[in-house]
Amino acid sequence: MVVAALASFVQCILLLVQKSDAGVAHSIVPWIEALNIQLAFRGDSFGLFFAMIVSGIGTLVGIYSCSYIPKLDPGRVGRYYAALIAFMGAMLGVALADDLILLFVFWEITSITSFMLIGFWYEKEDGRRGAMTALQVTALGGLAMMVGFVIIGVVCDTFSLSELQTSTHLQSTLAGSVLFVPALLLMLVGAFTKSAQWPFHFWLPNAMVAPTPVSAYLHAATMVKAGIFLVGRMLPIFGGAEWWSPIVATAGLITFALGAYQAFHETDLKAILARTTLSTLGLVMFLYGINAASQDAVQILNHAVYKGALFLIVGIVEHATHTRDIRELTGLRHNMPRTFLLCVVAALSMAGLPPMFGFIAKESLYGALLDNEVLHQTPALQWFVIAICVLSNAFIFAVSFKIILGVFCGKPSAKADHAHEAGLGLLFSPAVLVAIVIGVGAAAVTHGPQNLLNGFSSSTHAHAHVALIPDFKNPGPLLLSLTTIALGVGIYVTRARVGAVQVAIRDAIPTMQSLWDQFMDTITTVATAFANRWQNGSLRWYFTGTWLFVSTLGVFALYRGGIGIDNVPLSLAGAPWYGVALCGLLIIAAVAVARATTRIAAAIAITATGYLTALLFVVYRSPDIVLTQILIETVSTIFVLLILYFMPVWKPDKLLPAGRLMNVVVACIVGVVMFLFTAVATSDQFRETRNLAGSYLARAYADANGHNAVNVIIVDFRAIDTMGEITVLVVVGLLIYGLLRSRRTMT
Amino acid sequence: MTSTPEKSNERPVTSDSPILRTVARIAVPITVLVSLVIFYQGHNLPGGGFIAGVLVAAAGAMHLLAFGIEKARHWAWWKCSVVGLLIAILTGVWPMLSGQTFMDHTVWHIGSFYLPTATFFDFGVYMIVFGTLMTVFVELGQEEGV
Repeated sequence: MVVAALASFVQCILLLVQKSDAGVAHSIVPWIEALNIQLAFRGDSFGLFFAMIVSGIGTLVGIYSCSYIPKLDPGRVGRYYAALIAFMGAMLGVALADDLILLFVFWEITSITSFMLIGFWYEKEDGRRGAMTALQVTALGGLAMMVGFVIIGVVCDTFSLSELQTSTHLQSTLAGSVLFVPALLLMLVGAFTKSAQWPFHFWLPNAMVAPTPVSAYLHAATMVKAGIFLVGRMLPIFGGAEWWSPIVATAGLITFALGAYQAFHETDLKAILARTTLSTLGLVMFLYGINAASQDAVQILNHAVYKGALFLIVGIVEHATHTRDIRELTGLRHNMPRTFLLCVVAALSMAGLPPMFGFIAKESLYGALLDNEVLHQTPALQWFVIAICVLSNAFIFAVSFKIILGVFCGKPSAKADHAHEAGLGLLFSPAVLVAIVIGVGAAAVTHGPQNLLNGFSSSTHAHAHVALIPDFKNPGPLLLSLTTIALGVGIYVTRARVGAVQVAIRDAIPTMQSLWDQFMDTITTVATAFANRWQNGSLRWYFTGTWLFVSTLGVFALYRGGIGIDNVPLSLAGAPWYGVALCGLLIIAAVAVARATTRIAAAIAITATGYLTALLFVVYRSPDIVLTQILIETVSTIFVLLILYFMPVWKPDKLLPAGRLMNVVVACIVGVVMFLFTAVATSDQFRETRNLAGSYLARAYADANGHNAVNVIIVDFRAIDTMGEITVLVVVGLLIYGLLRSRRTMT
Repeated sequence: MTSTPEKSNERPVTSDSPILRTVARIAVPITVLVSLVIFYQGHNLPGGGFIAGVLVAAAGAMHLLAFGIEKARHWAWWKCSVVGLLIAILTGVWPMLSGQTFMDHTVWHIGSFYLPTATFFDFGVYMIVFGTLMTVFVELGQEEGV
């Protein structure tokens, strides 16, 4: 895991270096050409930037997991790493795919592996629940997104992302289509569910039941950013749409504010981090909404680094104290000094204090908000947005201090007393991330990080301002930062009162989670009612449905074929007397089946019809079918007798008159339709129009060297059909074996 | 017309009939031979893997009824059908190795005798039908009633 992750990280860097010399790495392998789908990968700078985050943090999480995951049985640990590495591969695929359908495939793999990782502790009820909710929401979004992609592909006749991004012709074609708005909305549903944007945000806090490295990796650093990444990719295609800004910016801003606000009253450390993650995801989404794409690389990297570190630190704390409840944790500083140090740096970065990367990102954000041309159109809106951002950041500031001061400072609580410092294996990964936090902060004295991060942005003309030293000629951002800090301190000081008010509000309003649960319950109820109605276990009911459907198909085929009953010579004139006699016997046997009062009698009568049918084929001189029919009849009689042997004594069904009438009607319809169908299929006119038998007979020896056309069809001309049939046969055999065996071993 | 017993697990599935045993001792080998002949002639005359498989399974069923299920139950009959499926798939895949399409059969000439490769495919069908039917017979025969 670690080696693979490191290798892909190095490969990303190599590709980046290469790119500056020799253009963008681009590899296309044909896949499903009929549908215009290719295995296309493309290493543009935004994709590689994302791939670097995925593989880089993947390396660190791999190292961390080695010490974190307890000594379980090897199979389970193996599954964990298998899912983790599969996730990483899929995530790299999302980052580098240049084909919409390919992107969707990888996207779904991340949903599934995420489900497996969230449900790692599947013994626990909430573990299963969290995994299910996450899968339901993200898979729903994924399907919506696929429909959006297909619309784009159909309208533009290509699935290639890079073509769609660069060709203004394709973009105007798409924009002119009536399906433009549905495609946009469906694509956004996919992005919003994956990135946990309001109103789909609720799955993310529930997903925190995952092992902590998984939370750090999937639900902070990478997977939840896939939605943002997708929106970034789609910005050139959809960015000009009328609906773009209102939808994306509103959802983003609500998520941003709601996440920051709710983070403050959580008591579980991971839940706090999950809510702040929501907040940042919302922020980046919002920035895309106001066409401030320049900011994306800065904010994504900043968040990945500090939030990854914080999650890993929470994992260490949980490992040491066996709790994540901040009410039970105080004064960890004494027993865990190194962890404390790492946490201070990461949390200060979250709070946005210099000289951390977080401070720079926040300055850059405020700068972008003040300069944004979308917001400039309505100054009132601009000030409203800035006020919301300042307030949300103030809440996040207060949350950061709640973690630093609340968990690590003060007198050690009972749980903290027994805590012990973590080993190098656990500390290494957060230490690396923290070093990046400080490193980028310090390096931002120069223009280096600014140029680098602007190069990574999805926007080709990125101009995010990344500098540690504030620009004193343009003091807006700095003033907003200071306001944030002042407000944050205020919130922190009055935390008891603010918290009480928040809890009161929270309890008064139904959450999205409960609405979702109700929704899922309704679906289950409806589905159960439906299944109970149609799958009621009554063989009579199933037979009625199946045969009526078959009859409908038969009628339809006759109608479409245009071959009427008039063309069929319905006369017994040429029929031999023994044929007619056989038919008479057949009718008697069939009546006997229907009138039988015991199962054995019915079985024997059925067998009789089978053998009589075989004799009928003797009349028609088709030895193949005679042979087959007799053998099948024999073997199925053995079957029926074996099965009847275990059946309880038959009590004849007591049917209502309506039920009996229904039986008669269905039987008549099926009989008449099948008779017509057979009569037409054997009529001369039909044989003339579709002379399949003749052509097979002619080709059997020439093409396949066999005189028995039936067998040549089975093993040669239509061998693939036979292949499918025999596979079904094997599977049925295995199923019967498994079912009966397992039933016996149980009892 | 006899009615089925109320408690079926009191009677064994296999009957203890000496007549059946005497007949089966001769009939089973003959049926197996006939099935092989039918399989062999299937390319040109009525017959083929499927029918031959059903026939040999009928022979198996006769053996079960006459001599009891004890010997047969320790055999994993499903393996027979899985091997058959593998043979069928291999026959299909083999031409692909030399660049032809899936299931592109040829005819091997060995002197005056010729052997179409489709025979191997048909043999896979034969084994599958036999294996699956025997699985069902043996498993059903071991049931203890409801």
